[in-house]
Amino acid sequence: MKDLRLHFLKGDILAIAAVVVLAVGLLIFFVPKGDTAGGAVQVYQDGKLLREFPLNTDESFEINGDYHNTLEIRNGKVAITHSDCPGGDCLSSGWIGTAGRSIVCLPNRVEIRIVGKSDVDFVVG
Amino acid sequence: MKRLICVMLSLTVFLSGCYQLPAQQEEKQYTATFLNLFDTVTTIVGKAESKEAFEAEARQVHDALLVYHQLFDIYEEYDGIHNLKTVNDAAGGDPVKVDEKIIDLLTDCKVFYEATGGLVNVAMGSVLKLWHDARTEGINNPQNARLPDEAALKAAADHTDMDKVVIDEAASTVCLTDGELRLDVGAVAKGWAVQKVAQEAPEGLLISVGGNVCATGAKDAKGTPWVVGIQNPENSETYLHTIHVTEGSVVTSGDYQRAYAVEGKLYHHIIDPHTLYPSQYWRSVTVVCPDSGVADALSTALFLLPQEEGQALLNRYSAEALWVKASGERFYSPGFDALIRT
Repeated sequence: MKDLRLHFLKGDILAIAAVVVLAVGLLIFFVPKGDTAGGAVQVYQDGKLLREFPLNTDESFEINGDYHNTLEIRNGKVAITHSDCPGGDCLSSGWIGTAGRSIVCLPNRVEIRIVGKSDVDFVVG
Repeated sequence: MKRLICVMLSLTVFLSGCYQLPAQQEEKQYTATFLNLFDTVTTIVGKAESKEAFEAEARQVHDALLVYHQLFDIYEEYDGIHNLKTVNDAAGGDPVKVDEKIIDLLTDCKVFYEATGGLVNVAMGSVLKLWHDARTEGINNPQNARLPDEAALKAAADHTDMDKVVIDEAASTVCLTDGELRLDVGAVAKGWAVQKVAQEAPEGLLISVGGNVCATGAKDAKGTPWVVGIQNPENSETYLHTIHVTEGSVVTSGDYQRAYAVEGKLYHHIIDPHTLYPSQYWRSVTVVCPDSGVADALSTALFLLPQEEGQALLNRYSAEALWVKASGERFYSPGFDALIRT
């Protein structure tokens, strides 16, 4: 009966080690740097980008237009905390913090969008 | 020595794989949002070589949707076109000459009406207007939020007969032969318009109008499917599931969309034509189906039906669904499993 166990030679071990080192090195080199890692908040009005904030900041921002929205960023989440728009849909969106999600105020033509790494392209519901 | 050759070979394969990586990253994914269509949010997602190239594609989709938006609007009129407001305003009078897109939509609406036993009824505008007005008042003035007057609802329900929507295909006219009847195509028109526009749109886009999502092919040349998250009704930051979509449509009807509170109780916008009140069966229903217009109509119908009757409808259209009860309990159509990614 043949012995089926692997007999590693010193050279093989070195070669395997070389592959592992190279693979890890190449992986680090080629994986795209996440420039929006951690996420950012983009504020659009009439389709134009008004401002961009990092998500991990504490900030308030006033949006004027036909109506007035107050945007707040706290603890990695964002919400519209005050609005004089009819309907108040933007207020009932609450606090969001996941990349790809957005808060919209249709009457003031405002979109608050969270950008960053996400494995989901779109959300329904 | 053989083993060493194996190792070196695998190293070569690995290296060549790595060197291809930068080339595959060329196309970036972009998102465009429009807030001027169908009184809701329109989002277009796609990969492109440049921002300009993507924006041109998104603009093309927007312009196509805008045509449908204006034709199907029941609140505003536009210069030089007869839209559904024109048709509603002429109720009880002469036939109105309309674009063939309106004829096509209303013809399909009659099919949906038959198929759903009247649950999807675009002739229910007079009933829906009472709910729409009560909701708008209730949201703007929560202390005085009230339900629509019951007698008024019942009176309006006498003017919802789809047979009184008379279509003359040859003359391209629509006539509402009941003067009190009003059209409201909100349960169907967004999905229906997305379907028509998607058929002419560039490949490889994900188009959503108010949550009626339609993919015009995979997101890249390798055939990578789109990943669509289905929102958890209990927590908008989490998903019930994520699913893969390459072609076809996804839409969710939920009791948390367009709701208002009266004396602490929430009333949503999907009105059962039989009871004239919001239905109580489900928290949300998600439908996956090849045709976006059918998906939109089915999600409304399924929201108003027990699971078994909803499943019978799904079977007729090769569609799948995920139902969520108020308790959070989930129910799946037999083929839904195959779509689930996580």
